[in-house]
Amino acid sequence: MNTQILAPATVLILWTLVMLVWMAATRLPAMAKMGPAAMAKPGSRGVDLEGVIADRINWKAHNYAHLMEQPTLFYAVVVILAMLGVGSEIAIGLAWTYVASRIVHSLWQASVNTIPIRLAIFAIGSLCLLGLAVIAAMAALS
Amino acid sequence: MIGQSAILAPIVALAAWTMVMWLWMYATRIPAMRRAKIDVARLTGGVGKDLDKVLPPGVQWKAHNYNHLLEQPVLFYAITLVLAMVGAGGGFNLALAWAYVGLRIAHSIVQATINRVAVRFTLFALASLCLAALTLHAAIIVF
Repeated sequence: MNTQILAPATVLILWTLVMLVWMAATRLPAMAKMGPAAMAKPGSRGVDLEGVIADRINWKAHNYAHLMEQPTLFYAVVVILAMLGVGSEIAIGLAWTYVASRIVHSLWQASVNTIPIRLAIFAIGSLCLLGLAVIAAMAALS
Repeated sequence: MIGQSAILAPIVALAAWTMVMWLWMYATRIPAMRRAKIDVARLTGGVGKDLDKVLPPGVQWKAHNYNHLLEQPVLFYAITLVLAMVGAGGGFNLALAWAYVGLRIAHSIVQATINRVAVRFTLFALASLCLAALTLHAAIIVF
């Protein structure tokens, strides 16, 4: 067991909760401006706000949802690495770079959100994840 | 069960609950698709949300919740595994984990039945606070 690699995973979970608060802090006031209609209809969901409130407000929600897509693979690989006792500098460096790339990706998607930059940041994170997966596969199969 | 692995029980409970919602979704959606005269044998390439336009909302609410259970709870699974591995899966953290699971089950039942947004929002917010507390405890330990 090597628990050092659990630190970046914990930071990314904390960051996701920051995005949850950022989403709530921008979306709830926008919904309040819509009046009681915003919450009156049973069963309405966040996606129903697309095209109804400002795009920039929905960007925070898009990113919050995004943080529960690919990062789930990151959590899985980090738990595998911890259980296999892999704590090499390169693995820990890749894990921290992944987390940093996802935080930058969040800030970009929530504010400026032009696609080429978002894609580039996402690609950097994905390459780190690929590296972690290869390291985990080598450790698991050796 | 020793202190560090006790927190695995709420993980299993929430995973099992997700499977209950999966069955509830099938049990309501498949008959509703039949009633809507959808030719499943020839259906190619659709996704679940296409059915939002076709099936009654009450049927789709089960599916909405099943999807929802595969969003924020993945953070719960990650952080509870971290807590188990660093030996902090008992005591107050265990209570918080069970509270999270209890709130998510209540959230599922509300979303699948009456689906009043204010009630759902309150349950989700309370569960999020449990998750935030678990994450802060994990952060204090791993740093």
